[in-house]
Amino acid sequence: MKAFVFLLVVIVISNCLAVDRNNFKTCEQSGFCKRLRNLTPNKHFHILNVDSLKVEGNVATAEVSSVNPEGDTKTLQHLYVFKLSALLDGTFRVELDEESPIYPRYRTQLALVAEPKADELKLIENKDNHVILQNSQGHKVTITADPLKIEFLDKAGNVAVILNEKSLLQVEPLKKKDVKVDGDENAVAVEEPEGTWGENFKSHHDSKPRGNEAVSLDVAFPDADHVYGIPEHTDKFNLRTTTSSDPYRLYNLDVFEFELDSTMALYGSIPVMYAHGPDRTVGVFWHNSAETWIDVENHSDGTVVSSLVNLVTGSSKPKRVDARFMSESGIVDVFVLMGDKPGDAFRQYTTLTGVAPLPPKFSLAYHQCRWNYVDEEDIRTLDENFDQYDIPVDVYWLDIEYTDRKKYFTWDLEKFRHPAEMVANLTAKSRKLVVIIDPHIKREAGYFLHEDATDNGYYVKNKDGNDYEGWCWPGSSSYLDFFNPAVSKYYADRYLFENFPGTSKDVHIWNDMNEPSVFNGPEVTMPKDCQHYKPPQDGLEGISAYWEHRHVHNEYGLWYIRATQDGLLARTDGRYRPFVLTRSTFAGTQRYAAVWTGDNMAEWGYLAVSVPMCLSLSVAGVSFCGSDVGGFFKYPEAELMTRWYQAGAYQAFFRAHSHIETKRREPWLYDAQTMGLIREAIRRRYALLDFWYTLFYEHTLDGMPVMRPLFQHFPQEKETYTIDNQYLLGDKLLVRPVVEQGVTSVQVYLPGRESGTIWYDVDSYQAIPANGFFTQNVNMAKIPVYQRGGTIVPRKERVRRASPLMAEDPYTLIVALDSQNTAQGSLYIDDGETYEYKQNKYIYAKVSYESSSLTYKIVNDQASYPTRSWVERVVIAGIKTAPKSAKMVQGDKQTALQMTLHKGNDVLVIRKPAASMGQSWQINFVY
Amino acid sequence: MVNICVSDYFYSFSFIICYFSTSVYTDVPRPRGVSLAKASLYSPTKDFTCFDGTGTIPFNYINDDYCDCFDGSDEPGTSACLNGVFYCTNAGHRAQNIPSSRVNDGLCDCCDGTDEYASGASCPNICDELGQEARAEAQRKAELYKAGSQLRQELIEKGNKKRNEMAEQLSQLEKDKAEAEKIRSEKESLKDELEKKENEALQVYRDAEERERLKKAEEENEANKKEAEETFAKFDSNNNGQLSINEIVTRVVFDKDRNGEVSEEEAKEFIGERESIDLENFVSETWPLLKPLLMMEQGLFQTSSQTSDTEQTDTEAEEDDKEAIGENEDVDQEEEHLEEELPHDDVESIDTEPKQQYDDETQKLVDEATEARRQHTNAERTVREIESNIRNIKENLEKDYGPQQEFATLDGQCFEYEDKEYVYKHCLFQKVTQKSKNGGSEIGLGTWGEWAGGENPYEIMKYTNGVTCWNGPSRSTSVYVQCGLENKILSVTEPFRCEYKIEFITPAACDDSQPSNDSFHDEL
Repeated sequence: MKAFVFLLVVIVISNCLAVDRNNFKTCEQSGFCKRLRNLTPNKHFHILNVDSLKVEGNVATAEVSSVNPEGDTKTLQHLYVFKLSALLDGTFRVELDEESPIYPRYRTQLALVAEPKADELKLIENKDNHVILQNSQGHKVTITADPLKIEFLDKAGNVAVILNEKSLLQVEPLKKKDVKVDGDENAVAVEEPEGTWGENFKSHHDSKPRGNEAVSLDVAFPDADHVYGIPEHTDKFNLRTTTSSDPYRLYNLDVFEFELDSTMALYGSIPVMYAHGPDRTVGVFWHNSAETWIDVENHSDGTVVSSLVNLVTGSSKPKRVDARFMSESGIVDVFVLMGDKPGDAFRQYTTLTGVAPLPPKFSLAYHQCRWNYVDEEDIRTLDENFDQYDIPVDVYWLDIEYTDRKKYFTWDLEKFRHPAEMVANLTAKSRKLVVIIDPHIKREAGYFLHEDATDNGYYVKNKDGNDYEGWCWPGSSSYLDFFNPAVSKYYADRYLFENFPGTSKDVHIWNDMNEPSVFNGPEVTMPKDCQHYKPPQDGLEGISAYWEHRHVHNEYGLWYIRATQDGLLARTDGRYRPFVLTRSTFAGTQRYAAVWTGDNMAEWGYLAVSVPMCLSLSVAGVSFCGSDVGGFFKYPEAELMTRWYQAGAYQAFFRAHSHIETKRREPWLYDAQTMGLIREAIRRRYALLDFWYTLFYEHTLDGMPVMRPLFQHFPQEKETYTIDNQYLLGDKLLVRPVVEQGVTSVQVYLPGRESGTIWYDVDSYQAIPANGFFTQNVNMAKIPVYQRGGTIVPRKERVRRASPLMAEDPYTLIVALDSQNTAQGSLYIDDGETYEYKQNKYIYAKVSYESSSLTYKIVNDQASYPTRSWVERVVIAGIKTAPKSAKMVQGDKQTALQMTLHKGNDVLVIRKPAASMGQSWQINFVY
Repeated sequence: MVNICVSDYFYSFSFIICYFSTSVYTDVPRPRGVSLAKASLYSPTKDFTCFDGTGTIPFNYINDDYCDCFDGSDEPGTSACLNGVFYCTNAGHRAQNIPSSRVNDGLCDCCDGTDEYASGASCPNICDELGQEARAEAQRKAELYKAGSQLRQELIEKGNKKRNEMAEQLSQLEKDKAEAEKIRSEKESLKDELEKKENEALQVYRDAEERERLKKAEEENEANKKEAEETFAKFDSNNNGQLSINEIVTRVVFDKDRNGEVSEEEAKEFIGERESIDLENFVSETWPLLKPLLMMEQGLFQTSSQTSDTEQTDTEAEEDDKEAIGENEDVDQEEEHLEEELPHDDVESIDTEPKQQYDDETQKLVDEATEARRQHTNAERTVREIESNIRNIKENLEKDYGPQQEFATLDGQCFEYEDKEYVYKHCLFQKVTQKSKNGGSEIGLGTWGEWAGGENPYEIMKYTNGVTCWNGPSRSTSVYVQCGLENKILSVTEPFRCEYKIEFITPAACDDSQPSNDSFHDEL
């Protein structure tokens, strides 16, 4: 929605919109980042005690000690426990914690969907300071003991991932503030490096009661061309070398007017990184919720010293990417995803952190939002206008102004006197409402939430153990501590219909500001020395009895949206699927909410960056991603607005939104031609809604991203590695949105030359053989989208006012033939809103074409859904020889079909096969 | 009544498509969703050609739930064509064209329910009811307009009267203006003539004054020179007729920078590069520089550099403060004095000269000239006043008070509206303002711009160029004017940022000659 605007008055007088970098730390200003980045490995390394190695089940454990190599004899410094686990689906986990920390170190709690499932782990060899282990798939792990180095080998025996090759492993031992007695018998603190027991940033002081506790690990990816992932940043999809700039930063922050092409932190942090090259794709998931900085060094990047040396010496570039993770606290806990295809690595990540549940179907349709639709009348007029201009829409949104002075779970009863009636009027047309609920709680006497939270101690505490107070939309606010199960339960219950009057099952929730955003806090968030709930445990008291915000920061928003999802589920006794939108993200977010890319700007660069941003989020598990269509700040002129709608129509989360201070921009407020183009873009989305829905269903089965980088399906094709202005939807459509101003043509890369892939322009069914880049002419109506030959895409041509009204409408199947004259597709159908699909109330059908027939086959015989939908049309593109006749066979019925061949573009249209989608059918062709 | 339905061919999930139905109200059979006007284009006896001519299809493809024509003309009664149109007769109420996408979508769009014939939605025919309501509403409106139009008639009469009065006023003023201009030029000639005589008479006195002034100057010069010589003698301690540097540095008055001692540099400022100075040079060069310092020392006046110097040491500042008090009082008095003089200054500037006694004859000439000047000034003022009135009336006459002047009498009338936070004021043809109930100043939401309605421009009054919004446009207001029996603001909203909307009723808008509501035509 919006960020940190109360200082806007001061900031924007110049009317020049840009991030105020001074509000956010550089690595130099972040104590541990500065400390760890300057760490020199030769002064400090680790040795694994091979004699202590034990393999039990899928876990190998061993003792590791840090060593100071200065002097003749190595002196052992500190003892650690090393743990390597083999997990199902080609995944390993490496953990390193202190053997006996003086306090427990934080282990991230909510990212994993469940305890990862064990694979087998065999000890192959343990001699000469070398240990070799192997999982059931044949991936080997070679551990070198002194200094410690861990190599992961692919099935062919090539080193794919190396941990700690550079000896940058670090787990700063926890210490107590040392006190000595001086000559006069007074206690004096031992001299320690500045910042150990407290840091300052601007006017903020971080008391650091546990001192330094950072962790770090270097990871090498031999043979990799590029690394990807670690959202959320505004950078390119393929990550850059950071040796001469700040590292990529992961620290959930409400960055007002964030800038483009930046490694700065943003609202979300998902610490998974993938490395890809022609040989393989692998990944690492850095399981840590503290502030994290990640350095990247790509050796084929011109700025890296070694590659310059290679250039001079003429030797071939050794392809390799080095990365280094540095976190402020926690333990070293890293998952190694062995791939080896891109899709494998993406799936391995969602195996760990979970898939997105099947969203309610309406949420994939078009959303209309603004800060703010001011009252009931405004919503009614909005609704009337969508119908008057015949533009489909499923959801209207209410931003913070609907509340009684920013007290969530209340309504401004002046402006929204009859919320239930307003909602009923929308749902009568099958439309929905989404209202915003933020985590900050207004500190106002008499506000039930504040009083309950105060009375029960539900708020996050400050460093002194009192309720923390910060400044946010309502003014003075406190923040619920969702780490406490009682708080989450209490909060979830606020969503019950009886507790939130005016809502119904068709009112869904938008959780914003959950980084959390604190306007007057350090870096616009909560101080790191705030205290969070920790389950009481014997013997833990004082510092040990709570977690610091430092440990859990990036995870805070996740706990929050989990409570929201719980509440929305509970209000219908688990019958209806909730929809939640979040701004803050962490590993696992996809299990609870859709994500939008935050407070962007009505500028072409922000339209363009929506693609790499959502690509990064998609491969990090969050497929349900989109950007504010039109841009949040500033006003989009007609061309930008049109292009943004066209792009948004092909991104998963499709919502227009705008800032309260900007001019209104509903489609009909533009000229008639622009309005027409916007309507057409939205209609395209609705026509493909069942395709989207099927992709999201399939994501629940295989964890594959819905929006995919080209290299996922063309992993050998190097040109695709750095293309992030186009993408694939499933493995079927290639989308290249026009994100440039005033262009009459764009360059489109069509991959698959080697395999003879054919692409079909979805507007004309014109076949275009893959041959790298080609020039696509674009007028204002053109959205460059291509269907891959060999695929079948279901469409609904009868676009109606709202998607539920199309439920029983007939399908058109677009069959795009490959060079073998075959094609495959799928279709998923259910009621779109309940969990009954889990009781086999659905249809999942595979559609396949070969010259002799087109077959629609329901995959699971046990499952069924009483749909009235039918197939009204089959379009076969790229057909060289038209059949003489066609016959529909469904059950014991057979019917001759009419066909029309369009010679110009080899398209055959089968008129009205009229078979029900409720049962399998087949069309047989005779030549 | 005929209903031809085909059960869809083959399949178990059979859906029924009724592609022909007859209207209860007409004998002409036509496909579903076709208006009477277009019925003849659908002839069951021959093939159907799409309206756009792009294709010809067998007649039984009409309304078979498959889109064959690009223009959608083959599916008037189904949802098969995205761009199709479904016609509902809505007997008893208004007929309606709805997009095909609303056919069988489960929502009742046509009041006769004909759009939902296969969706399972229950859409009873409520056209009679709606028709009645609509007719009652139309009736109510008609009555309102009838009552309102009488009031409007009065407004028209008053408006025309006001306008005529203004026109009359204008022509009277034009006459008055001519008259006044005539008087003004007469008075001007008279004044010129008398002033000439006055000047001649006064010349004698001026010459005498000039002589007196020269004499006085000479005397002052002498006195000054004498003072210089006395000073020289006083400073010339050794009486050698030369004032040396040594002699100068002992005299505090030369301490120009007031640092407590007279440096050689300071001394040289007064006597140049010489070692000493004689009386003659002292009088011509040193004295003009020294005199102000001496006067200052005697507290006669303050130099400008002193008053503006704020970086003095504490003690000096204190001293200066003391000095300044008295001097400021002087200045104050001077100002007061000036203020008293100002009114005289205004018109009769000659009066400000010191009163002088003239001989009777001269005095008479002066008095006559003064009187002529006064009369001329008055005549000029009259002309200006008339011109200003003319401008105002012309401005008003140029304002568009509606086709029949019905809004004329509302010009300048103000109406208020209160909501939770603000009091809004709409002064017709003048301005719209907003004032917070919590205090603060009035904020202009626009001044009168123009009529800005669409077909009927007199439906919206547009006020523009209000106070500029922070970081945004200047405020403006659209007043939506509707018929009502009184003048009243019904609502004030801000649908777009800084663009206000006022709903205002007035009898002036009750024009029953305007087609105020949609005509009803049942297809019977």
